[in-house]
Amino acid sequence: MIAIERISKTFETRRGASHLALGEISLDVADGEFVSILGPSGCGKSTLLYIVGGFVPPSTGVVALDGKPVTGPGPDRGPVFQEFALFPWKTVLGNVMYGLLERGTPKVEAEAKARALIGLVHLEGYEGFYPKELSGGMKQRVAIARTLAYGPSILLMDEPFGALDAHTRTGMQNELLEIWERDRKTVLFVTHSVEEAVFLSDRVVVLTRSPGRIKETIRIDLPRPRRRKELLVDNRYQRLVVEIEALMDTPAQRR
Amino acid sequence: MTQRAAPELLLGILPIALILALWQALTSFDMAPPALLPPPMAVFRRLVEQLGNPIFLQHTFTTLLRLFAGFAIACLVGVTLGLMASSSRVAESAIRPIVRVLAPVPKIALYPAFILILGFDHASKIALVAADALFPILLATYQGAVSVEPKLVWSALAAGTTRRKALLTVVLRAALPSVLTGCRIGLVISCIVVFLAEMISSTDGLGHLLVYASRSFETVDMYVPLITISLLGLSLNAGFNALRRRLLAGYPEAE
Repeated sequence: MIAIERISKTFETRRGASHLALGEISLDVADGEFVSILGPSGCGKSTLLYIVGGFVPPSTGVVALDGKPVTGPGPDRGPVFQEFALFPWKTVLGNVMYGLLERGTPKVEAEAKARALIGLVHLEGYEGFYPKELSGGMKQRVAIARTLAYGPSILLMDEPFGALDAHTRTGMQNELLEIWERDRKTVLFVTHSVEEAVFLSDRVVVLTRSPGRIKETIRIDLPRPRRRKELLVDNRYQRLVVEIEALMDTPAQRR
Repeated sequence: MTQRAAPELLLGILPIALILALWQALTSFDMAPPALLPPPMAVFRRLVEQLGNPIFLQHTFTTLLRLFAGFAIACLVGVTLGLMASSSRVAESAIRPIVRVLAPVPKIALYPAFILILGFDHASKIALVAADALFPILLATYQGAVSVEPKLVWSALAAGTTRRKALLTVVLRAALPSVLTGCRIGLVISCIVVFLAEMISSTDGLGHLLVYASRSFETVDMYVPLITISLLGLSLNAGFNALRRRLLAGYPEAE
C-alpha cells in the first residue's frame, strides 16, 4: 500500500523567493489499485509522482510503502515517463535487459526474459534497433518493458502517452490495460486527459490549480475487463467523463 | 555519418590545391629564391625519403608519445573533474574558481616553469600539452553532464543502479557526444602545443627538427616536419571520428 501523508513541495525560485508547487496532499493507494491523478498543467501532479518515486524529496510530509518511509528510488517502484527516457546507446534488447542485469540476473536468463517482455509489448523483430529508429509509441512500449523487467510492484506513470498521437494513444491504453489485467500491479497514473483517466482507473484524483491540492476523488466503478467500444457508448462512462470535466473546468476556461 | 557527395569532397580539396599551386608558382617563376622557399615537390620527395629514415621516425615517435601522453592526462583529469563538478555542489564550488582563474592563462607562459620543475625531457612537454588540452575537455564534460536529462538517471536509479555507478554508466555515457567534442578540440590543441613546446626548447621531436633545420638554412628539411605534423593531425582526427561514430551509434547527435 502507498500511504501519502501531508506531502507538500516548495521550490526556491531564482530570486530566493519560495513557490509552493504542491499543497498538502494525503492519499492512500491500495495494492493492485489503478489510481489516476488528474489536474491542469502546472498543478504539481508530476512532482507528486516523482516524490513517490523517491526522485525528488518532499518539503514536508512522508510517503510510506507498506509502512516503510520512502528515502530514495528503488526497484519496487517503476517509473514510465512521457519523454520515454530510454538509453540512446542501448538497443531495444539492451534497454529491456538493463534492470535485469543490474539485479544480477545471469545474462542468458536476462536475455530470455527481455525477449519475452519485448513480445508482450508486441515489438518482436525490433530487438536490435536503437530507440532513435523507433516511433513514439514503440519507444514507450520499450520503456514499459524496461520497467516491467525488474518486477516493480508499483508503476509510476507520468503522462506516459502524452507525447503520442490520438490513435497511438488509444492503442497504448488498451495494451496497458491488457498488461495490467494480468498481474494487477498498483498503478499511479498522471494525466491531463479525463477520458484516459476514466477509461483506465479504479479511482480518479482531481487536483486543483497550482498549488495542487486534492479537489475531489471519484471512484470509477465501471466493470472490468473494460473494452473501449463498449465503454464509449456506456452511459455511466459518459456521465463520469462529463462530471469530472466539470470539476476541471475553471472559470477562465468556461469563457 | 553519411558519405560526403563527390562535389563536396572536390570543393574541400580545392583550397588545398590552390595553396600548393601558389607555392609551386612562386618557385617556378623565380619569385622566391629556392634557397628560401623550396619547390613543393622537393619537400614531398624529402618527406617520402625521411619516412624511411629511422632517425626521423624516432623523432616522430617522440612527438607522438608526448602528444598522446599529454592528451591522455588531459582527458582523464578533464573528464573526471568535469563529471565531479556536475554531480556535487561541493565539488563544483571547489573546481569552478580554479578553472576560472587558470583557463584564460596562456599555458605556454607556464612552460619555463615546467622546464625548471620537471626538467628538459618528456615530462615538461607532456605537462604543457596536458595543461592546454585540459580545459576544453573539462568544460565540455561539465556542460554535457549537467544537461543530461535527469529522467535518464532516474530510470537507472529506479532499476537499482547506485548513484555513483549511474554517474559513470549513465551520466557520462549520455554526455558522451559533448565529451567527445571537447576531446576532439583537445586533440587538435595537443598537436599544436607539442610541436610548439619542441620548437621552444627540445633536443628531439618534430618541432626540434624544424627549428634545427631553419637555423642551419636547410629549408627543405624545415618544411618536412610541418607537413608531417599536419598529416599526423589529419590521421588522428580521422581515427578519432571513426571511434566517435562507433561510440555514438544510437545517439541522435551522431547523424
